[in-house]
Amino acid sequence: MSENKNTVDKSQEDTLEAPSHASEQEVAAGKESLRTDADPSKKTLTHTPSVVMKELADTAAKREPVPEARPATKLQLVSRSTQIKEASLATLFFICAFLAVLGVGLIFAFVAWRAFPLLSEIGLWNFLTGTQWSVADNTFGALPFILGSFVVVGGSLILGVPLAVLTAVFMSEVASPRANAIIRPAIELLAGVPSVVVGFFGVVVVVPIVSALVGGAGFGPLTAWIVLSIMIMPTITTLSEDALNSIPMGIREASYAMGATKWQTIWKVVIPAARIGIIDATILGMGRAIGETMAVLMVVGNAPQLFAGISAPISTMTSQIVLEMGYSSGDHRTALFGLAAILFLISMSLVLTVRLLAREQTKKTKKPKKGGGA
Amino acid sequence: MSTKTNKNTQNANAEQRKTGMQVLKEMKEQHRESGSGLGRAHLNNRIAMGVLWGATVITIGLLAVILIYVGYHGLGVVLQDFPRFIFTWPEGVNAEGGIWPTIVATLYSTGLAMAISTPIAVLAAVYLAEYAKQGRIVKTIRFAADSLASVPSIVMGLFGLAFFVETLNIPLSMLAASLGLSLLMLPITMRATEEAIRAVPRYIRWGSYGMGATKWQTVSRVVLPTATPRIITGLILSLARAIGETAVVFLTMGIAINLPIIPTDSGRSMSVHLYLMAVEGINLPSAYGTAFLLLLIILALNLSARYISKRYSRIDNA
Amino acid sequence: MFNNYFTFVILWFLGLVYYNLWVVLKNRKGLHITMAANSGIVCCSSCEKEGSHRFISITKILSLSTKLSVVAALTLLMLSAFALSGCTGRDIQGQIIVSGSTTLLPIAETAAQQFEQAYPHYNVLVSGMGTSAGIEAVGVTGTADIGTASRDLRGTETELDLIEIPVAHDGIAVIVHPDNPINDLTLAQLRDVFAGNITNWQDLGGPDLPIVLVNRDEASGTRSSFASAVMDGESFEVNSVVLPGTGQVREVVARTPEAIGYISVGFVEPRHVETYVQAISLYGVPPTDENIINQTYPIARALHFLTNGVPEGSPLEYIEFVLSEAVQEGAVRDAGFLPITEAEHAEFRRMLSEGN
Repeated sequence: MSENKNTVDKSQEDTLEAPSHASEQEVAAGKESLRTDADPSKKTLTHTPSVVMKELADTAAKREPVPEARPATKLQLVSRSTQIKEASLATLFFICAFLAVLGVGLIFAFVAWRAFPLLSEIGLWNFLTGTQWSVADNTFGALPFILGSFVVVGGSLILGVPLAVLTAVFMSEVASPRANAIIRPAIELLAGVPSVVVGFFGVVVVVPIVSALVGGAGFGPLTAWIVLSIMIMPTITTLSEDALNSIPMGIREASYAMGATKWQTIWKVVIPAARIGIIDATILGMGRAIGETMAVLMVVGNAPQLFAGISAPISTMTSQIVLEMGYSSGDHRTALFGLAAILFLISMSLVLTVRLLAREQTKKTKKPKKGGGA
Repeated sequence: MSTKTNKNTQNANAEQRKTGMQVLKEMKEQHRESGSGLGRAHLNNRIAMGVLWGATVITIGLLAVILIYVGYHGLGVVLQDFPRFIFTWPEGVNAEGGIWPTIVATLYSTGLAMAISTPIAVLAAVYLAEYAKQGRIVKTIRFAADSLASVPSIVMGLFGLAFFVETLNIPLSMLAASLGLSLLMLPITMRATEEAIRAVPRYIRWGSYGMGATKWQTVSRVVLPTATPRIITGLILSLARAIGETAVVFLTMGIAINLPIIPTDSGRSMSVHLYLMAVEGINLPSAYGTAFLLLLIILALNLSARYISKRYSRIDNA
Repeated sequence: MFNNYFTFVILWFLGLVYYNLWVVLKNRKGLHITMAANSGIVCCSSCEKEGSHRFISITKILSLSTKLSVVAALTLLMLSAFALSGCTGRDIQGQIIVSGSTTLLPIAETAAQQFEQAYPHYNVLVSGMGTSAGIEAVGVTGTADIGTASRDLRGTETELDLIEIPVAHDGIAVIVHPDNPINDLTLAQLRDVFAGNITNWQDLGGPDLPIVLVNRDEASGTRSSFASAVMDGESFEVNSVVLPGTGQVREVVARTPEAIGYISVGFVEPRHVETYVQAISLYGVPPTDENIINQTYPIARALHFLTNGVPEGSPLEYIEFVLSEAVQEGAVRDAGFLPITEAEHAEFRRMLSEGN
């Protein structure tokens, strides 16, 4: 999951950052006028060829002798079949692209459709606030799992975010390129380790250690926090590093010029400047954590109860779905789909939050730039 | 695209950093001469650098511990009468022996998923990067792709079960699993391809248009071939993701061990096998071996993606 | 069993997409014709007016036929793959579908492999989706020939015309850490422990340690058997570690001095591992093979195959194979269960002869 989010966010940032970043330098060089020209010219340029083509085709269709005069040319701009081809290809591509929308729509529609009888059978409010989950009694309250998911995710963020952000700071501010040549592939590889392998590692290594440290069987939130923080750290590290790298060098130099130490620069200047990027990274890490299934399932203890201490087993939405889907039927199955719908909504809202933050950021960065330019 | 810009900024950063450091050094010397106390800030700085080092070492250490632990236990299992573990069937009720059918099922389903998702993702990316006018539709599609990328895999699995298996009546099989996996891979491949296409310099396109080529000719003969290495890198990474995926496969492929021949055969993938072995906890050697092979495959895929992109960027720079 | 229309549309679309991609890679011309043909538009007529284009259009038409044949071949290939899958579908003789309990899955699977080796013309498909799903598959929808059940039929399930054939016995041993001084409990004590009424080993005469409950997941047949034999309608304490596998329960109990759990008797002795657990006796009756088969040990169950009516034909051959000594002493024991008795064998024979 992180891999794609990385790319997603990276490119988002690229599209958002790159122009503004470039423009900032231009502003410094006093070339504001160039920048304002750049955007419209880009747009027209991308579409110019097609416009030209159409015009060419139109004029060619009007004047028949012209194509006859040069029959050997392979310039097929003129024939109607070419137009049809281009149009049908464009349609095909559009359909392909639209499949993504269709996919998301279908996923939500199906999960919601399957979960819908829940509203009539149990009632949405009862489902969300019920604390009892018992298949035998046919009572399904999702609160233990919703809270469990948030407990597990919250703890793993508390453990993982500082570590990940510090690593990112190290990579961006301290490490030499040679050190980064080792660290970056390692982080990417860590992101690629399948969750089931991390879960297996958790079961055979982390669980006994936790059991020895805090007593009990070793299954519970603490173990899940450790395992999950391993899973989300690469995501947060990569994205935070991108955010830190996008901070212009000049800001740092200004800080150094004021006599600040490296750490003062990092803590008082660089991290605040990259704040929104780091928050973005954390939110996406949270998205990954909340959807994480196998690793959590294997170490969390899966007891459908409210949080009762760091070593008392709890359960999450994802682990409950995997554990019980195989044999569920009737209301039980509906309730599991209800959990999936909640998960879906949470992950969608996280994506939306990131989008809104990005929009906010572009607004913010635009304002001072104009002030600085004037 | 991003790596290149990153590199550029990094180089720039490195140079500028040096100047920053020089300034800092001068400042320090000044302070030392004047005798004023920079001592505390300096101490703080040292502690902080230590913390940063520590955090990084912990992060890298975690990866190392996982790799070494799984490798240490798994290598022995795999190497014991060497190809036996890879090429024989599991025997008996505790799945002693090899894991051949699960390897086949994994490669089968991910291969099929790649075959399904790649053309769609590539063409969709072509649309977004080359054809679409910036507007509401593109925004919607991009948002949908982002959302699709963030849908928890278990929800994807449930959808696969509800839609492909129960509604379209495809049995629990390679086909159902690979349809689910392809939904998972679609946004990754799409994003990578789009970035790759956007990274192709504009003037190359102008050259093609200037020769009188149509849009499609330009895309198919100039843009896509140029972007191919990056697209392949993206593909490999999405493949690595699909191979390690468990939740989707667990719900849509069936869990019985079977050697799949046709797309509607069921089977058990390596990740599911590892999960079952780990939670059953009876035949742990087999679990270690499977985990080791799984890591090895993903490691190989990651490294090859890295190699391709590196080679490509070298050509690009030259 | 297949919604052919949907599948066809999906595959056709894929074929189309593929073909175009192939063209891209091959850098070939004349693509638009195929595209247009695919879109159901005949486009060549417009070119014919222009005399100079006639030559091109002829080659185009020629290439059109080749492209079309390629597309047709692709479509055919895909269709045949699905036709093939239809052929190996459920109505062909020699195919046996076994579905149900995950507890019985390893036995059914191992037996199926051996059965296919012994009778190569049969194909046995085994899937484990839980006992309820198995009962539904064999009794209601008829999608399976044999259902496997790790619990007794209950409720409306008893009204179906299902025949229960015992294939193995299972005793559930209550296990504690080997250092735990407690080695005998009553069922009532056990119930109080698992219902959360007794939370300290002190109350059972042991050391002053909180009890750590290790439970199985709700999908587990072991859990439902334990519940019906011990819990007597009381529900399990929720503050218990829920683990989805026998080996994990064993491993956790072997490591944790204050833990108590339950697993199949066959797994109490170590396999592949060097850890030990202690099985406690109930009312002084230890969970030995003998005590389980003659039901003096209270937490025992029989595992069944279910058929819709008296079995005959290929399912019967498979069932007889499972009941044979090779499987009973091999797979059944390996899976931690106990073979069925002579009396049950005889009962099965009698049922068959009566049925016929």
